[in-house]
Amino acid sequence: MEWLLEHLDRLLLYVFGAGALVSALLMLVLRQPMRVALALISAMVFLGGIYGLLGVHFIAAFQVLIYVGAIMVFMVYVIMMLDPRDPSCAERFSVLVLPAVVAFVLLVGVLGYVVWAGAPALAGGAYGSVYELRQFAASFLKEYWLHFELTSVLLVVAVVAAVAVIQVHRGRHD
Amino acid sequence: MSHLLVWIVLLPLAGFLFNGLAGDRLGARAVSLVGCGLPIGSFTLTVAGAIALAAAGGEPRVETAFTWATVGDHSFEVAFYLDRLSVVMALVVTGVGSLIHVYSTGYMRDDPGYARYFAYLNLFLFFMLVLVLGRSLLVLFVGWEGVGLASYLLIGFWFQDPEKARAGKKAFITNRVGDAGFLLGMFVLFQAAGTLEMDRVNAVFSTGAPAGFSASLIGVLLFVGATGKSAQIPLHVWLPDAMAGPTPVSALIHAATMVTAGVYMVARLSGIYGQAPEASAVIAAVGVLTALFAATVALTQNDIKKVLAYSTISQLGLMFLALGVGAYGVAVFHLYTHAFFKACLFLGAGSVIHALGGEQDIRRMGGLARRVPTTFATFAVAAAAIAGIPPLAGFFSKDEILWFALASRSGGALWLWALAALTAFLTAFYMARLLWLTFLAPSRVDAETARHVHESPRSMTGVLIALAALSAVGGFVGVPHLLEPLLPLPEVRPGLDALETPLVLLSVLLAVGGVGAAAYVLAAGEDPAEVFRRRFPGLHRLVAGKYFVDEAYERWVTRPLYWVSDRVFLRFSDRRVLDGSLHALAALAERSAARLSRAQTGNLQLYAFLVLAGIAAGLLWSLRHV
Amino acid sequence: MTDAQVLLTLAVALFAIGFLGVVVRRHILIMLMCMELMLNGVNLSLVTFAHEQGSPLGAVLVFLIFVVAAAEIAIAIPIALLLVRRKRTVDLYAYTDLKG
Repeated sequence: MEWLLEHLDRLLLYVFGAGALVSALLMLVLRQPMRVALALISAMVFLGGIYGLLGVHFIAAFQVLIYVGAIMVFMVYVIMMLDPRDPSCAERFSVLVLPAVVAFVLLVGVLGYVVWAGAPALAGGAYGSVYELRQFAASFLKEYWLHFELTSVLLVVAVVAAVAVIQVHRGRHD
Repeated sequence: MSHLLVWIVLLPLAGFLFNGLAGDRLGARAVSLVGCGLPIGSFTLTVAGAIALAAAGGEPRVETAFTWATVGDHSFEVAFYLDRLSVVMALVVTGVGSLIHVYSTGYMRDDPGYARYFAYLNLFLFFMLVLVLGRSLLVLFVGWEGVGLASYLLIGFWFQDPEKARAGKKAFITNRVGDAGFLLGMFVLFQAAGTLEMDRVNAVFSTGAPAGFSASLIGVLLFVGATGKSAQIPLHVWLPDAMAGPTPVSALIHAATMVTAGVYMVARLSGIYGQAPEASAVIAAVGVLTALFAATVALTQNDIKKVLAYSTISQLGLMFLALGVGAYGVAVFHLYTHAFFKACLFLGAGSVIHALGGEQDIRRMGGLARRVPTTFATFAVAAAAIAGIPPLAGFFSKDEILWFALASRSGGALWLWALAALTAFLTAFYMARLLWLTFLAPSRVDAETARHVHESPRSMTGVLIALAALSAVGGFVGVPHLLEPLLPLPEVRPGLDALETPLVLLSVLLAVGGVGAAAYVLAAGEDPAEVFRRRFPGLHRLVAGKYFVDEAYERWVTRPLYWVSDRVFLRFSDRRVLDGSLHALAALAERSAARLSRAQTGNLQLYAFLVLAGIAAGLLWSLRHV
Repeated sequence: MTDAQVLLTLAVALFAIGFLGVVVRRHILIMLMCMELMLNGVNLSLVTFAHEQGSPLGAVLVFLIFVVAAAEIAIAIPIALLLVRRKRTVDLYAYTDLKG
């Protein structure tokens, strides 16, 4: 029991990781888009848990708020707009399944090899205080203010583009 | 004035800029005022320069305008140089030039391109003065090319007529051939002397050519340039065609000044030619052959301006003959007298053409002596001067050329004298024929034209009178004597001194004989050219066809060049090799693109797969190699 | 075997699975979701690296990726909807004529 308490963090890490991995794999095989969306949501929640375990609580919060709360809700909403009995997508997989799986294995193999064999920089690390929200916010506004502003520009552009896309659609049909 | 020479040169340029930029807007009166006033101002300054030069005892005056370029140790300066030789040239250029400008105000009065005409004429004067006053051969060359440009612009002044535009091109291109030789000569000269400033060049060559360089090579190369500009065999073909320009232009550029630039250049570089007996021999031979050749052609021509054009070529040939036998001062003397009487003849011809409303064929003239008396009188004086009737100007200069052709110790020979004497005889003959057929013979003018015949305005006749007066008395100025400190006359061959007086008499006889022979034939009411044609049809065909030089060039130069350009350069090199290779490359790109475009299926997942495979392969490769 | 290695392996696996999903799934919305999964994999690797290096830069980048993902989905979903309205199908293979 003591052992369990001592290693609770690590145990939870593995559990969350396995959960994320399984959710991701489910995304590949589930037929209904709504189920795929739910699998993705669960993967994201598991990842949020991992972030929390790593001590970056605000990123965990954003993960849940932005990804699950905004993006995925949007996605689910769209899926519900479409006809769930759409027969057009009877085929689950494209014709490229076999070559794609081969390439996938190669990719995972190479990257996994690098992660496990190389990379001396990954040997352990200090859990510093860098993850305090205050420091994060300060460095954001002092050092990375330009990027911050650029993302706001990006968002404006995205809004304009989304409006434009809808306008094009309206103009053609009305 | 410390910048006298610069001002002499710049005034016509100012006229060019004024007339060229604003002339059309300011009206003919302003154009005439500026176009004539500035050359006259230039002439006045030149006279002042001449007086200052005389006061300084002939000490050359040098003015450096600016440094053009400095290359290594050599500095090329734009400097102007006034000495005994260039002052004579500058006086002729600005003096005769100003007169012809004044004449043009009458001749060109009704032309729509009045301002443009004066702009070009001023431009010509500017470049001619650069040519004459330049100290360095490089500056001379700038002027040399510039007068070629002005000549091209003025020959093709009425460019709406393709024939005239073509004549301009012909003049320009023929001169390029000569300029190639001139440039090569300049290169070799710079190598040899290390400078292009002509007084220094002459100083370098005064003690013989620099080791390893042949003065004759330099001399001949520069002379090639002179044959182009001064219309000597074999590059004479452009001058007769250049008569397409307005007549005052023919008088100024193609008789009095520009075409004598070659003579001036050789005289200016007499230091080189003094060390180059072979080049001098070539010059003498080319000169005398040109003189005779052109004189025979002039016999058979029926266009009044063409006769004068061939006469100009002939007289230029005589000048080169004088240069070739070392009598540089005499050549300049003939240049100076020729400027007066040939300008007068051309302007007289212009007056006749003006009177007849554009008619140039002497077979349709005649009986004009009473209708245009001033023109006739001045034309007659000038014709007598060129024929060599004493005591008019042409007599003195031509007589001296004949004398030195025979007697000069540096190249004089009997055959040169004989051919030159024959030329003199023919000159008198064809001038008499021209004068007779134009003014004295029974009128062959058609009635409609005859009614409009009128004497030219004051501005034209006044100039004619001035030039005729100069043709009459110009010979009394002893130009060779004036130039002697700079251009010493050649020594006389031993044993010939006694011949001088008999030869003077003989040349008078030749002139009078030529006129008399012409008169004998003409008095019978016949055109000598017609008689010649009847008696010797074959020979006449050859001469009247200008010895078919143009046709020979067409056949042996132009057509082979055209063939090579067309077949080798255009069809083979350009079309087949260059275009062909480019087309092949384009076709290759097109075909391979057509193949590759099949990979563009439109299937996004294929693209994504290719990206995935590419990333995987790239990582695999980097794992092995990095 | 450290935690970092485990987490990075997970990140690699999520990224690769997402990629595989983009290549093999024919439903366009599912393809979009797989792209989100790829972004999540990248985020995880960034967080892990930042954790190891003790630098806030990784967290900053993650934050920026959130924004980019939001912008991406805001554009992608209307486009997908327009496509579906045009052809009444969510099958990617129906849209190969978009190559022009």
